[in-house]
Amino acid sequence: MDIDFYIDSDTLIHRLDGRTKIMLFLASFIALVFFENPLFILPIAFLILLQNVLAGALVNIWRIRFLLFVLTVTGMLMWNIFTSGETDLFWFFDLESLLYSLSRTMLMLLMIISGLNLISTTRNEELVLSMIKLGLPYRVGFAISTALRMVPTIASSIQTISQAQRSRGLDLDSGNILERLRKFIPILIPVFISTIRDTNVFGMALESKGFGAKEERSFYLQMGMGRNDYLILALSFLVVMASIYLKILGLGSIPGLTKF
Amino acid sequence: MSESAVSIQNLRFRYRGLDELVLDGVNLEISEGEFLVIMGANEAGKSTLVSFLNGLIPHYMRGAWEGDIVVNGRNTRDFSVPELAEDVGIVFQDFEAQLFSTNVELEVAFGPENFAIEREEIKRRIEENLRFVGLEAFRKRSPVTLSGGQKQKLAIASVLAMEPNILVMDEATTDLDPISKMGIYEITNKLRKREDMTLVVVEHDTEEVLEADRIALIKDGKLAQVGPAQDILRDSDLLSKMGVMPLGIPRFFEAVGSEQLPLTPEEGAAVFERQNLAISQEKYADLVNRERTGSEEKEAEPIIRCRGLSHTYPNGVEALKGVNLDINQGEVVAIVGQNGSGKTTLAKHLNALLMPTEGSVEVFGAPTEEQGIFKIGQKVGYVFQNPDHQIFSEVVYEEVAFGPRLRDLSKEEVDQRVKDALRAVGLEGFEKEDPFSLTKSGRQRVAVASVLAIHPDVLILDEPTTGLDYRGQRSMMDMVMDLNDQGSTIIFITHHMWVVAEYAQRVYVVKDGQIILEGLTRDVFSQEEVLNDSSLRPPHFVHFSNLLGNTFLYPEEMLSCLEGK
Repeated sequence: MDIDFYIDSDTLIHRLDGRTKIMLFLASFIALVFFENPLFILPIAFLILLQNVLAGALVNIWRIRFLLFVLTVTGMLMWNIFTSGETDLFWFFDLESLLYSLSRTMLMLLMIISGLNLISTTRNEELVLSMIKLGLPYRVGFAISTALRMVPTIASSIQTISQAQRSRGLDLDSGNILERLRKFIPILIPVFISTIRDTNVFGMALESKGFGAKEERSFYLQMGMGRNDYLILALSFLVVMASIYLKILGLGSIPGLTKF
Repeated sequence: MSESAVSIQNLRFRYRGLDELVLDGVNLEISEGEFLVIMGANEAGKSTLVSFLNGLIPHYMRGAWEGDIVVNGRNTRDFSVPELAEDVGIVFQDFEAQLFSTNVELEVAFGPENFAIEREEIKRRIEENLRFVGLEAFRKRSPVTLSGGQKQKLAIASVLAMEPNILVMDEATTDLDPISKMGIYEITNKLRKREDMTLVVVEHDTEEVLEADRIALIKDGKLAQVGPAQDILRDSDLLSKMGVMPLGIPRFFEAVGSEQLPLTPEEGAAVFERQNLAISQEKYADLVNRERTGSEEKEAEPIIRCRGLSHTYPNGVEALKGVNLDINQGEVVAIVGQNGSGKTTLAKHLNALLMPTEGSVEVFGAPTEEQGIFKIGQKVGYVFQNPDHQIFSEVVYEEVAFGPRLRDLSKEEVDQRVKDALRAVGLEGFEKEDPFSLTKSGRQRVAVASVLAIHPDVLILDEPTTGLDYRGQRSMMDMVMDLNDQGSTIIFITHHMWVVAEYAQRVYVVKDGQIILEGLTRDVFSQEEVLNDSSLRPPHFVHFSNLLGNTFLYPEEMLSCLEGK
């Protein structure tokens, strides 16, 4: 099964330096987190989606549509339960809490999409190298990239193992919640054990290829900041500044909202 | 060939937490430029021995040990695994887990990067090594998209890029189809020509190691015999005793009492003529006729029928394209083909794990879509390739009882079935054992038993012999044939052509999602060109008999058809 999110193509976004893309991800977080009012989030949402379209990564949003849908539903419910406002609408929904839950849900989805933009257009190795150039130790960067790499491996072993158990008669689709949870044991244990075995081989292969042989290390991958990188960084800097300015002016919040 | 590249002295080792010695006093000198093959039964200590060469033991895997291993003049005791990587490169069996970059070039670059080699030099090494293994056209591809054979070639290139002078291959070709295997051995033969390159290869397949200089046979942690490859390969008795498959051609000539014991098919054919041996065409016709009548009787009742079966995965990959296939009651059918040809996808349709995206699959008269996996699972059992993908219980009994219990059988019935299934796989008395503590072959048997306990009429086995040694492969297949004698229909997928030759009645050859050849095993193995085209080749012995003009599947068959015997 193929669940690698990287899209191997050559778009404007792909050509940006990895550092720029990481900064974009961080900038979008800062710009988003200040506002409770969804109206203020819209322009940034537009920019994030624009980046996604330019990167040709809409397909990846489609691939995680189920996750996004679940997050939307639970987000809208939870934040309505845990906040209240002055203008009653229906049941436990008030106008203020509804707006607030909308903005928090948007924040959550947009952060995921922004992260998706990053990994759709940046190779694993490029991501590591960028993090190192931004000051992270190599081993930490490598650990992050390894974690990302494990996801598809585990997903495919879950698939094989659940097929094996289903063909022995395991029926995951019936019974109450507790019964269903118990049915996952025959899947989880083999997944756990085969992951440990894989990781062991991975570790041996890693050391056998000289990982950590020297303090210094060279990089085959070449990276460089170009004109587009500086332009985009300048633009995102302006957006972040504008957000901070609006926040200082006291805009973007929802009057009459009470959070528990 | 004078300097010693590796010197092993009085090596003893046992893994932490285990009482048994895995290596028990091994002494071995490997000279520079030598091609040494290490063979032996599973658990004999082969992998443990080679893990010492680059320091994985004692630095990565722990245990109690004594002795000395000196590699290029350096005692491995004093150097870490990464430090030794410039001297010793190692390629593992598992080709998924040892590749971790997002494209082929970066994979090769990873090793040199760790040694802080300059970029220009890394570039040169990438070029050189990709050309050497024949992957230069794939430089921008992601390793996950390569075939199994290409992945192992990439693993070799990525190790050679560190410019070691010793290359270790630990069962690197075990999971590969025959032609991919040959591709890897073409590379090792090229490496041999480099005078300073020492090769240490762990291998099960006797036919692949004819080119080796020496063979070391390991048994129970001791070096039982080390000698010139050609001598050892001629000694069929010795190989059998060591749990290694003897070659069919020398075995045949030994049985006819020949002084000369040729090893390759071509030599075999020449010796056959020279000794004035001849095959009785009358007896051969008899053999073929008996086989055909036998199979015609069975054709009356197909129990599985695929018509125009196509399967396209959600990501758009067309894994099967219009497959027609019939399985008859009581048959033993092999499905063969290259890694990634669609064999497993096809087999998964036969017990409703996958549904056709086009065409139909009928099992016992009804389409699989109408019956579903739960119902079909009772009639068609599927043993997955890797037993570790299904074992989860703490004791063998529980594991085998899992299937019957899900079908709400009485306690007595479950007990009986577990007992019968364990007896069938030769694990009587293992009820209370921890399945994870068994050997690979033991775990494989538990997996088979746990499917048998469901009492299926048809048994599908995905690579039942992969990863087992010769003895394990034999006893696994003998057990499967016993089940067949008791009425089970058997379908198995395999890369082991000798298993097909000796055990299958009929063969389907899959290539790029299509059946390109089907028929009785003998007829299929007589068409070597079509087989080669699908990355397959018959065993040496069958090839030898084809050179003589008739197709024999194993030595005993040919012996029974000799003129005047």
